[in-house]
Amino acid sequence: MSLILLSTVIDYSIGLRLDKEETPKARKRLLHTSIIVNLGILAFFKYFNFFIDSFRDVLLTFGVEASISELNIILPVGISFYTFQSMSYTIDLYRKKIPVERDFLRFATYIAFFPQLVAGPIVRAKDFLPQFQRKIVFNWDRFNSGLSLVMWGFFKKVVVADSLAPFVDLCFEAPETFSSLHLILGVIFYSFQIYCDFSGYSDIAIGLARMLGFDFPENFRTPYFSKNFSEFWTRWHITLSSWLRDYLYISLGGNRHGVFNTYRNLMLTMLLGGLWHGASWVFVFWGFLHGMYLVVQRLIEAPFGRFMDAIRAPKVLQVGLSIAVVYFFTCFAWIFFRAPDFTIASTIITRITSFEGFHVSTIVSKFMALKGLLLIGILLAIEITNFRFQYVSLLVRKPAFRLAAFALILWMIAFFGTFGANTFIYFQF
Amino acid sequence: MNKNILTRIAWLLALILVVFVGDRVGGWLCKQMVDESGFRYSRMYTGKAQCDILLLGNSRGLGFYQPTIEEITGKKTFNLSYNGMTMDLGKVLVEDYMEKYKAPERLLIDVTMCDRSSPEILATFVPYIGESERLEQLIRDTSHTVATATQLSHLYRYNSEIFQRALYYNKGKIDDDWLLDRAMSNSTLEYIETQKYRIDARFIDVLKETIEYAEGMGTKVELVMTPYYPPFAKVVKGLEAFQSEIERGTGRKIRNYVYAIEDPNCFGDFQHLNKKGSKVYMQKLKADGVL
Repeated sequence: MSLILLSTVIDYSIGLRLDKEETPKARKRLLHTSIIVNLGILAFFKYFNFFIDSFRDVLLTFGVEASISELNIILPVGISFYTFQSMSYTIDLYRKKIPVERDFLRFATYIAFFPQLVAGPIVRAKDFLPQFQRKIVFNWDRFNSGLSLVMWGFFKKVVVADSLAPFVDLCFEAPETFSSLHLILGVIFYSFQIYCDFSGYSDIAIGLARMLGFDFPENFRTPYFSKNFSEFWTRWHITLSSWLRDYLYISLGGNRHGVFNTYRNLMLTMLLGGLWHGASWVFVFWGFLHGMYLVVQRLIEAPFGRFMDAIRAPKVLQVGLSIAVVYFFTCFAWIFFRAPDFTIASTIITRITSFEGFHVSTIVSKFMALKGLLLIGILLAIEITNFRFQYVSLLVRKPAFRLAAFALILWMIAFFGTFGANTFIYFQF
Repeated sequence: MNKNILTRIAWLLALILVVFVGDRVGGWLCKQMVDESGFRYSRMYTGKAQCDILLLGNSRGLGFYQPTIEEITGKKTFNLSYNGMTMDLGKVLVEDYMEKYKAPERLLIDVTMCDRSSPEILATFVPYIGESERLEQLIRDTSHTVATATQLSHLYRYNSEIFQRALYYNKGKIDDDWLLDRAMSNSTLEYIETQKYRIDARFIDVLKETIEYAEGMGTKVELVMTPYYPPFAKVVKGLEAFQSEIERGTGRKIRNYVYAIEDPNCFGDFQHLNKKGSKVYMQKLKADGVL
């Protein structure tokens, strides 16, 4: 609590000073102060032990055994999210993209607004603060569409994500005891578990904010239907990827200084994006993989397109193939994201590629697997048909449809839901 | 009152009514499916499970392979075993069975099921909560929230793996020969050294009560420890203490078959016999007079 207050007070004060200050040098100094304080707090509370641990390992490779002890630090809830929110305010103020916020209460509400405090979406000051200017009154249409999102979010979390979790947990606890097919299913289930867990939380946060009269930006847009990795990052954790694009990738030079620098900037952005998720090398490697995907995509995109045109592959085949390839490599990266260490990740990959026990009979928890597949099927069916029917607007316009949809969701939660003490995965970040 | 607010209230009442009625109708439909199922607990609670030899255990107890027992003894069997079955649940099932049917000649219990408590496994038995006051009480004692939720929503009663299994056995199929039939792979065998498995006797009193209840009904009770894959049995901590604690607590001798089968081809994994192994095991039980 004191940390979030500290960040809030510092950035609020720096904001006021930035507004008064005209000299570029002084403005830059203020911006650097904000960035150093925010990242300093984040680095200490989230990454201190990781740095110490890694430093010790490096020394050990040179034969030096250092006795540097780790600190017993508790990771403050939501620190990665509110730090980025707070920084976006001072950076945008420095870039003169937004006006200063003089009302401390409003600024503090922006940083600590409860729906998104713990796990996003990462809301920018330019999107949130102007909303205080308008009169906030209760509106039934907003309430209904917000409530629909909240219910849909609960469905994704309680019905899909938490039902897939036990199968996934077993796969990543003792992969050596499972067959190739079982582990493939485990990885596919994880891809949907993390999607439903995180996008479910985002839907609940966006829905709650909407019910209270505020608009949050969209955070997920059916990411597994992406046809390339650039598109994937405009559909997955949109508020983080756009934050990294606007404040890191573009600050590094973006794609303005030649091919090599573009690739370097992409890799750096994705590596830091990986590290943002957690203090572990597996997250860094996950970021590295996505960086590589983006680089390789840029390298082969044009020749691949020409090849497809040359063989006159039907459009539907091209799209289907692209979606499948992106999904495959995304799942491959998820193995590192979920595995507690590289040993488990490599065991999973080794066992999957051995194709040993590639038969349905080797799936240990068939009923759990069957339920998981059914729920993924229901989720995909709803998401695909939503492209055409736009359910949220139907829910607002048609009370009978809303009644049927709400009843269906409640029945499904009762019939399929998993009610344990499963917290949201992104709470740990 | 504002017409708009009245409309909202009417809509909310309609939602509550639709949800409630749908829940009860759905729950009733699911109950019909469970009652008609050939799944063992459905058969038990609908009076189709009379037997001479009653079998009880966790997933390892499914190694009491019924077709072989019936073939070598000529007697009817019924297996109450289930994955992760706990002794308190086993006691309820045995008592429910004895109450509904003529007492069987023998009750065979794999005592390794006494090593754990599991509210999660208990909760999966909610489809039968309406069939047994004992089961309802046990679930209520173990997880009050689950018991209350089953009152609130009847659909929730069928939100369990047991219901899925009941559905699977819905078209005249029965599960007397159900046993995961697979063999251990070479790579699985390589990981024995990394296994950590501790066994603790936690339900000795409940086991003793179950034995006394069955014996009181005139049933002979046999206690056994089903085979583990021997190299794995060696890494299981507390196995000998587990046996002696149960023998001391119940005053009954346990027949120990933990190391009885050595052939890796007889196991589906370190803890479970496959069909081949189960057949060998049943022959041993027959030869020793347990069956």
